[in-house]
Amino acid sequence: MKIVILIFSILFLLSGCVNKSYVKFVDNNIENYIEIKKINERVREDGFKEIEVVGENTTKYYKLFRYRVTWEDKDGFAIPSLSSNWREFPVQKNAQFRINVIAPNKKAVVYQLYLDKTDR
Amino acid sequence: MKKENKMRKIKLALIISTTASLLFLSGCADKVQRIDMNNDKGDQVIGLDYRDFNQAAGEATQSLLKSSALNTKDGNRVILVISDIRNDTMQHIDTDQLIKKIRIELLNSGKVFVTTALGSSTDSMNKEARKLKDNADFNQKTVQKEGTLMAPDMSLSGKILQRNINMGNAKQQVEYYFMLSLTDIKTGLALWEGETVIGKRGSGKSVAW
Repeated sequence: MKIVILIFSILFLLSGCVNKSYVKFVDNNIENYIEIKKINERVREDGFKEIEVVGENTTKYYKLFRYRVTWEDKDGFAIPSLSSNWREFPVQKNAQFRINVIAPNKKAVVYQLYLDKTDR
Repeated sequence: MKKENKMRKIKLALIISTTASLLFLSGCADKVQRIDMNNDKGDQVIGLDYRDFNQAAGEATQSLLKSSALNTKDGNRVILVISDIRNDTMQHIDTDQLIKKIRIELLNSGKVFVTTALGSSTDSMNKEARKLKDNADFNQKTVQKEGTLMAPDMSLSGKILQRNINMGNAKQQVEYYFMLSLTDIKTGLALWEGETVIGKRGSGKSVAW
């Protein structure tokens, strides 16, 4: 019985450590154009989290997409910032692209990065 | 009797036609729609609108935070003064549309305090409240003492430029440049420079002011 409680306690503790950050396609059609290769994360010397999404345009067409990032503190509360506004970014044909975003403050540790099509 | 009936018919016809006209006209009136500022898919305008200011402010703050210009050795906040931000466009815009967003983001970053004791965003109460010294109406213990205002460490200055280019074929290109500089007041050196360019093309008849 003690072992079961111990396992549940460890699982409960671990669930609290799960990083809820993610990169998501708003429109699933985007998968036909770009591929996410790597997501880099680091905490800089000044304590700010920095993320970099590396992707590739797998088609022979130039595309214009948009992204936005929402931030949360460790307790899951939203931290408002200008990076939560949509920002357009170009994706050259058959080429890599990088989206680099810095957290709005030290408390912002969890992020959700959304990628979407533009109307242009 | 016949005359009364005729009058009634005319009155009824008048009422019906007036009501019909009012209903028709109300259908023609332009409906006002509120913009969804989080996902605005409305057409671009040749002038500057809030989307352009959002983009320029977002790019400037990201660039500033990524640079180490606002980092101090002891980790204390930098005291920033807003210097001259010139509007060199043909539009009647308030540069606070750009600067306010940057100020809010920098303040929330925990790296900066913005002084309103001087600069272009001066709060006159900083001086006015100090004039209460020796005013018998005020409790002198609550009047601010001399030497309490904080001098700035850094200054943010810049300008918004506009260039109009006639493309022929009754078309025009309008370029907007958002230029900002962060200066270390101690040394006079610019520690950070930022520029966002937004270009628009449209009819030559569109007016960009």
